[in-house]
Amino acid sequence: MTELRVESLAKRFGGLRVFQNIGFTLPEGGLLGVIGPNGAGKTTLINVISGRQMASAGKVVLGGRDITNQPAHAVSRLGLARSFQQTNTFKSVSVNENIARAVRFGGRGAPVGLTRMMDTFGLTPRLHEISDKLPYGLQKMLGLVMAFASAPKIVLLDEPAAGLERAERQNVDTFVQIVRDAGTSVLIVEHDMDLIRRLCPRILVLDAGVLLADGPPAEVLARPDVIAAYLGEAGEA
Amino acid sequence: MDQFVQAALIGISLGAQYALLALGFTLIFGILGVVNFSHGGFYMLGGYVAYSCVAFLGLPYPLAVLVAVAATAALGWVFELFLLERLVDDHLATLMLTLGLYLVISTGLLTVFGPLSMEFAFPVTGALHMGPIYVPRENLIVLAVCLTAIAALWLVLYRTDLGRGLRALADDRAVAMAQGLRPKLLFPLAFAIATGLAGLTGALVTPILSLSPGVGDPVLATSFLTVILGGLGSLEGAALAAFVVGIVEAFSSVYFGGSIGALVLFVLVLLLLVFRPTGLMGRTVRGA
Amino acid sequence: MRIKLLGWTELVALLLLSSGFVVPVFTRSVLAYSVLNQAFVGVIAAESVWIMLRMNLLSFATPAFMAIGGYTVAIAGQHNITDAFLMTAAAFLVPALVAVPLGALVLRLRGTYFVLVTFVLSQIMQLLIFETPGLTGGSNGISGVAAVTLFGAELGTNRLVLEYACGLAMVATLITGVLTRYFHQHFAGIEENEILAESLGLAVWRYKALGFVVAAGVAGLAGYSLVNMLLTAHPSSFDSSTAVDFIAYTIVGGRVSILGPVLGTGALVFATNLFGTHGQYAQGLYGVLILVVVLAARGGIAGSMAALWRRVS
Repeated sequence: MTELRVESLAKRFGGLRVFQNIGFTLPEGGLLGVIGPNGAGKTTLINVISGRQMASAGKVVLGGRDITNQPAHAVSRLGLARSFQQTNTFKSVSVNENIARAVRFGGRGAPVGLTRMMDTFGLTPRLHEISDKLPYGLQKMLGLVMAFASAPKIVLLDEPAAGLERAERQNVDTFVQIVRDAGTSVLIVEHDMDLIRRLCPRILVLDAGVLLADGPPAEVLARPDVIAAYLGEAGEA
Repeated sequence: MDQFVQAALIGISLGAQYALLALGFTLIFGILGVVNFSHGGFYMLGGYVAYSCVAFLGLPYPLAVLVAVAATAALGWVFELFLLERLVDDHLATLMLTLGLYLVISTGLLTVFGPLSMEFAFPVTGALHMGPIYVPRENLIVLAVCLTAIAALWLVLYRTDLGRGLRALADDRAVAMAQGLRPKLLFPLAFAIATGLAGLTGALVTPILSLSPGVGDPVLATSFLTVILGGLGSLEGAALAAFVVGIVEAFSSVYFGGSIGALVLFVLVLLLLVFRPTGLMGRTVRGA
Repeated sequence: MRIKLLGWTELVALLLLSSGFVVPVFTRSVLAYSVLNQAFVGVIAAESVWIMLRMNLLSFATPAFMAIGGYTVAIAGQHNITDAFLMTAAAFLVPALVAVPLGALVLRLRGTYFVLVTFVLSQIMQLLIFETPGLTGGSNGISGVAAVTLFGAELGTNRLVLEYACGLAMVATLITGVLTRYFHQHFAGIEENEILAESLGLAVWRYKALGFVVAAGVAGLAGYSLVNMLLTAHPSSFDSSTAVDFIAYTIVGGRVSILGPVLGTGALVFATNLFGTHGQYAQGLYGVLILVVVLAARGGIAGSMAALWRRVS
């Protein structure tokens, strides 16, 4: 059973508090959305869970195993993959080589659904193109595919739709679909409210480093404190 | 006891010199993210410029020191502005550029002045006798100038807008730039301040120690030891570590002789890296 | 995906190096022998630098590990151990073993620390040699090192010494080539985007440490070759300032393939000998060339030749 449990997690930079007392559980095969205004600490949360940055307090437990402050590669090897907000690929090599590296570094072999994913996003005909030369949207999808190519049990997606054209955002839905078909659970940080509404049965709201709400989107997004937190960010989504 | 006080005085005086070098080095790393391999080169250059001013132009020594500071600062400014600036975000490239500059400076000095040591003597001689303790006057003067320079640097960095700007760039370049600070203006300036400090140290210290091409290597090694000990990019750490290095070196040479001091320091640095990788006054600086 | 153990660049490099067996057929010129010998030592040392440069790490520790390899052989020679295979293995393994704890320690830290620590390390090695006269002969070094023996036969003539240096350079090239080919994806991933590689599950520091250990072993072979050429292990042979020469060979040659250190060493050793007795000025030339390569020709000699080739074909 691979469940991700986060217990009273906190992160401070010097005297600056990024977030504190964050707790939630992502069950095996689950799908959880995380929203919040800019600067709420969402990316840092992904960084701390995935071992990129150190936690100041609290615990991250993966499948019953305490992985708090384990190095990023160890966390990844235990089955927790993550994507990056900016396009993040090995820019000087081909699409094929990027995928090959992701599979080899992950050490678990290619996951079921990888080929289907590449076909769907139109990466298969471009296997031999240098990843830096791909259109922005495709580079971003390649980054997502690479996170999945290590055959993880859980993926954390950091704003997968940011920078994508509206038409391309459907690809994120497809990505999540294929990932979940493979039995992988997903945590998705996103600004696109439509996307969150159509994908996530449950969302967390982060505001100024604290967990404001946790529940089904329809319910959570109707709460006055959540609406207040988003005031002034109306144009964002 | 006398020997103890004597060693402590030597240590503090060495520490002040090392502090000037290490502060410049760590300033460059903190602000530009550049490891300056030419730091020892600017130290040598400072020595040779001061020597030339005294020997060929007949300038009084204090004036020669000022010319050395101006010359090394100017070269640093030009080098940053025209060469380093283009590749400032590429850590490896900047490292290689400063290494290349160091080789050019040291070979240039070798070509002009030859491989032998220069006869460059400190203008003030004699010593102060305080009871059984004996302190050369030249060391006292150097110590006073170094401490003044450190104080001046502190004033600039912590009490002026320029200093606030430089420190903001060191803390977080993206945020500082968003607030309207211009690295294009401040980077060459920071580099010039640091190389000027190295030139000052060279002009002050080489008459006491020695002046020949090749004196830059140990200077660079000491700067490295000091900044690793103090934590890369930390000004307070560099200053503190400089005095630790100076005092360890002085005591070990008085009590053990030879090069045991350097070995002790290296072991100290290795132990520190194991138990406290961020250095004495560690803080996490951006990745490199 | 098939992982190649050697590619065409390694084969060309080996072919170039085999000149050490060809040149003695045509000439007995002492100068030619001396230049080639220097080049073979330089190639091995530069390959040691190149391994780390594949992961964006600049190492100044080469002379330190050369010293460990060189003194290992010299000390063994004092005990009448001269067998070529045994000594080659020892010159590789002893420095590599010393590098294990050091690498594990330093490579968990950020890259900048690596550069600084390796620089200090080669300074410290000098001091260690001076401080241990019982073992290393201190400032006198160990002279009169016994010639190497192959299947019991002594390799004593100039020509045999040259051919042996050539053989060592080819062994070092094979080791370097196999390592960097087998772990090509790992090294390239670290070089290009360390954070991404790590988040995909690559234990970055472990591969850096592996590279460091092999680089130390390869440097040890360079030290062995140098001691075998001079028949002396002397502290001045392992001066910390020589680290800069090997870095210059590698950067000027180009970091894209193993041809870089080979071509760079060849070109710069040749150029240095043009200075004749004014060899001390060579570092100025290296400095200028490093500036030129970094500012204008990022691929170095090998990279520029490859670019030219692509344009022609």
